[in-house]
Amino acid sequence: MQPPTGGEKPPSTYHGRTLTPVSSAPQLNPQPAFPPPTLPGPPFATSNAPGLISGSQFRPPFSSSQPVPGGTTAVPPPPPQAPFLAGQPVSGSSPFAPVGPTFGASATTSPPIRFNGPSSVGPTPARTYQQPEVPRFSSPSKPVTPLQSSYIRGPPQTPIQSVPMAAPPSQIGNQLGMRSNMPPPMGSASSLAQQHVQGFTNVNQQRTIYQPPPPPPPGQMQFPNVGTAVALHGQMQFPQSGATMTAPPQVQFPSMGPQVGPPIGSTGAIHSLVEEFQSLSVGAAPGSIDSGVDVKTLPRPLQGDEEPTRILESYPLNCHLRYFRLTTHALPNSQSLHARWHLPLGAVVHPLAESPNGEEVPVINFGNAGVIRCRRCRTYINPYVTFADSGRKWRCNLCQLLNDVPAEYFSALDASGRRYDADQRPELNKGTVDFLAPAEYMVRPPMPPCYFFLIDVSLASVQCGLLEVVAKTIKSCLDQLPGSPRTQIGFITFDSTLHFHNLKSSLTQPQMMVVPDLDDVFLPLPDDLLVNLSDSRNVVDSFLDSLPTMFQENPNVESATGPALKAAYMVMSQIGGKLLLFQSNLPSIGIGRLRLRGDDVRAYGTDKEHILRVPEDPFYKQMAAEFTKNQISVDIFAFSNKYCDIASLGTLSKYTGGQVYFYPSFHASTHGEKLQYELARNLTRETAWEAVMRIRCGKGVRFSTYHGHFMLRSTDLLALPAVDCDKAFSMQLNLEDTLMTTQTVYFQVALLYTSSSGERRIRVHTAAAPVVPDLGEMYRQADTGAIISLLSRMAVETTLSSKLEDARQMLQLKLVKSFKEYRNLYAVQHRLSGRLIFPDSLKYLPLYILSLCKSWGLRGGYADVSLDERCAAGYTMMVLPIASILRLLYPALYRMDEVLTKPSEKENIDELLTQVPLTVQCLDSRGLYLLNNGLSFILWLGRMLSPDLINGILGGNLANFPDLSKVQLNENGSEVSKKLTKVLKTLRQKNPSCHQLVHIIRQGEQPREGFMLLSNLAEDQSAGAASYVDWVLQIHRQTQG
Amino acid sequence: MVKLTMIARVTDGLPLAEGLDDGRDLKDADFYKQQAKLLFKNLSKGQNEASRMSIETGPYYFHYIIEGRVCYLTMCDRSYPKKLAFQYLEDLKNAFEKVNGSQIETAARPYAFIKFDTFIQKTKKLYLDTRTQRNMAKLNDELYEVHQIMTRNVQEVLGVGEKLDQVSEMSSRLTSESRIYADKAKDLNRQALIRKWAPVAIVLGVVIILFWLKAKIW
Repeated sequence: MQPPTGGEKPPSTYHGRTLTPVSSAPQLNPQPAFPPPTLPGPPFATSNAPGLISGSQFRPPFSSSQPVPGGTTAVPPPPPQAPFLAGQPVSGSSPFAPVGPTFGASATTSPPIRFNGPSSVGPTPARTYQQPEVPRFSSPSKPVTPLQSSYIRGPPQTPIQSVPMAAPPSQIGNQLGMRSNMPPPMGSASSLAQQHVQGFTNVNQQRTIYQPPPPPPPGQMQFPNVGTAVALHGQMQFPQSGATMTAPPQVQFPSMGPQVGPPIGSTGAIHSLVEEFQSLSVGAAPGSIDSGVDVKTLPRPLQGDEEPTRILESYPLNCHLRYFRLTTHALPNSQSLHARWHLPLGAVVHPLAESPNGEEVPVINFGNAGVIRCRRCRTYINPYVTFADSGRKWRCNLCQLLNDVPAEYFSALDASGRRYDADQRPELNKGTVDFLAPAEYMVRPPMPPCYFFLIDVSLASVQCGLLEVVAKTIKSCLDQLPGSPRTQIGFITFDSTLHFHNLKSSLTQPQMMVVPDLDDVFLPLPDDLLVNLSDSRNVVDSFLDSLPTMFQENPNVESATGPALKAAYMVMSQIGGKLLLFQSNLPSIGIGRLRLRGDDVRAYGTDKEHILRVPEDPFYKQMAAEFTKNQISVDIFAFSNKYCDIASLGTLSKYTGGQVYFYPSFHASTHGEKLQYELARNLTRETAWEAVMRIRCGKGVRFSTYHGHFMLRSTDLLALPAVDCDKAFSMQLNLEDTLMTTQTVYFQVALLYTSSSGERRIRVHTAAAPVVPDLGEMYRQADTGAIISLLSRMAVETTLSSKLEDARQMLQLKLVKSFKEYRNLYAVQHRLSGRLIFPDSLKYLPLYILSLCKSWGLRGGYADVSLDERCAAGYTMMVLPIASILRLLYPALYRMDEVLTKPSEKENIDELLTQVPLTVQCLDSRGLYLLNNGLSFILWLGRMLSPDLINGILGGNLANFPDLSKVQLNENGSEVSKKLTKVLKTLRQKNPSCHQLVHIIRQGEQPREGFMLLSNLAEDQSAGAASYVDWVLQIHRQTQG
Repeated sequence: MVKLTMIARVTDGLPLAEGLDDGRDLKDADFYKQQAKLLFKNLSKGQNEASRMSIETGPYYFHYIIEGRVCYLTMCDRSYPKKLAFQYLEDLKNAFEKVNGSQIETAARPYAFIKFDTFIQKTKKLYLDTRTQRNMAKLNDELYEVHQIMTRNVQEVLGVGEKLDQVSEMSSRLTSESRIYADKAKDLNRQALIRKWAPVAIVLGVVIILFWLKAKIW
């Protein structure tokens, strides 16, 4: 214990600094405040003062836990006690149980352990936390004496509270402000308080339970918070061992304590601690598991995605977080620190994210000056560059090179070195801008938007009504296709032969040409296969009108996908554009022929398992490379109800920046609406064509791995033949140097693209992040959303090269390692033996990782998800933006019956809906529930739901609907139905990227569909994965080991 | 047959429009496009060029007309009638001026009128076949006196610029070399001085040393 006492010097690491104020705040304080009374005491008495003071400060939590060990001995503070008495009887039953009992348990058993514990484990944590501990445990043989002396000291301590009331708080505040190396806005006590209160309200029900009924002063409110996590365990010994001794001072100052104490505590010290970490009570010993965790106290992301906006406070010029998010907004300064951060370090980029309020990105044209970029690293000018030499030079913020300012761009500087025109120039005050690219950025003139449809017209497509939906949808979208009047369009249909369609504008009817030669595909016409839409509009219209009927009698069951792709490539190669492949069969003839696989159960669980998830035929990868080279992006719409090898087909999308849509057992009557919406969205959303993206970063860091749908050209250039607002990319960071010298690292995402209107533009997002020397700060700034996004992509990629089990283990290992590391940071100091501790920023991480392991892409084994669905889910997860992936992993479950039946004045649907946790226990058989996972809705009708409501929703008697899974929900006259439609509409508007089809499930019927709901209940045990509670226990056990 | 079509502003060589999927059946389309761009750059340097010109390059001809500070350029086979080519450019010019005439001066970004490519595409198709009735009629029409139009070689045209470049390069080389010459001359001068006086200095030195030794010894 003694050697590491080097820590007694002012602690060097960051978390040490913020922590010390808490336990040593009183210690720092008393010295100036009341030197005379303290000094005469024995040497350790002074150092024990903190224990005492914080003891009195933390009286509410004490009294709250007191009933357990001490029974009725502690009466004094009336307000806090009241709730607890009320809570006590309940604690016997279930929900509140952990609060009382666990504390009790750990409190009664732990003292001896604790006294031994730290001294043996000491060296590791001691280095920052020495000050309070050394005196406390240096004399373990007589633990009571120091306590006694300190408690006797109790009375004299009151003068501090009453006398310099004004001084201490500010002092603490100042100290905290001075000592923290956080940027000012973050470190200031007020902002901390705000954050804390926020976190407090939405985090943990456990805490709300604590709150005394008479609303306590604001400072007091925060107490329980600390109490649960730190203070209690830190100082529990005092009331316990000296229960009788505590009583007098408490009785003496019953009112003083709670009233006076809180202001001191609330000034900041406590906040910093609260912010430090959260903990979950997990039962004292691994043996007594069941009583350990209270299901209700587990953190749940009922708010969906929360953007870590704190970073914007310190770097207000950063681009909006919807465009660029780091997994932690505090980068490690050394390799060794990086190695201790076991979660992925990286970024999630969503370059074309839609702004919810329709905010436009400013467009900048530099004219003759050309786009202003750094000579060396080619960084675009951004708000973080600095100007020097009275405005004639600018310093690149990424590589520090001094560049000349072009004469056209010159502006004088004001006294602070800021350009006078900085406010007028968006590129100098906004993190996101669009630059108009001059001619040097064009290899060829901007291409026109081009849509080419490759439609499988074999028997299966005709039977399921696919052709009709597709033809209708395309026809309805023709007017909204972007880029009019330049838009190009073309069609090839195929079964065992290829059908080309001549859409020449001078024709009145389209001409179909059949090419049966699949080995040597050729184009029957040099042009007019891909035509200008506005010129040939009539021909296209008549083609789409006749398409459904044209192949009605087609008995052909073969599908020559490979040759069709080649033909499409030949047609499109000059221009590029989007290729939409509608596939309803396994590609069965010609090149790229695929065979049935995946029905082999034996392959699962072996090393060969992953082969099923990678493309079988190299043809698809080669084709994808060719497509990308010619700026063609492929979107796959697959409809097969049998196996159609999404794994192979999806490769086309994966390397061309496309997207995979999978409609298992498609039928027009049920899925038509979904296909219609999603196809229309695909065709009409704003698309960036022939794009390339590069992300630059400052010295010392480097992007190493990229995840998403793109083709990597050179080492860091992502080729994206087409990219749109529904696609996000993620990448991992590596540290290059062993030690970073800079304080800040800058990132710049640049996407060079052609807009549909034929303008070549560069979208530039700039962001900055601080470099920190301390792991605690990295955890504090961690962003669960970005981490999950990156982890999900890494896991999906792992499944392509190894077993599913390996991917799940990888996730679990990362989680455990990071929590273990975090535990080492803090736990031992606070002796949180029976608790799982984790940073506040990562409180949802265990749950998300659990549900990631249960997601369609990763769950179970052979029987749990069909291979195609698994692969399709994998491809979907590779492109989803953060908010959508989080929604998919933890769907929103709403109880609807009351919302629908009770009349309410509130028009805002959001206020009506309250999310409930995703477990079966929450499902009431008398209720009606709506589950929204972002991709589909599930309407769950309880068995005992009132028939009126059912009839209202369905628009008829339940008995009229023999098969609910085929029912389409339409608005009918009833009030309930109208309201439901409105709710659905509002929810759909929140996620416009796809259409959420409503599946109706009645409890106890439809085993297959019922499974669909159950598989979405992330907190329950399913598919061989643990339930949330078990998972937390498991993680806890592993972090301890 | 028309191979390439490009429209650019003469004042600064800014490309305004280009035919869609030009160069589909051209092996080295990029090379010729590059040449065309060089040509525009040359024109923008303000050398007084004829408003109509044909320039031969490899197996093709560039034909261009300059009208209202816009240059319309096309590339055709050698065998393609000159008359038709210029007729084609006239058609483009008329349509382009009608559609975009007012904005030509203010266009700030490259390919600002890329939407014109659909018209180029359509018009091109009309001129594909020289033997259609329409084109035959135009060929026989004596409206345009194309015989007067100068034909030059591309090397020659681009050469003008090249030669200018050469001259400036040479003059700059001359400056730097004359500076070197001046330095060298100075150096030589000094050496000559040394060579001239060194023997004398040595002899004097020896004599002085002798004297000094003499004074020391004796």
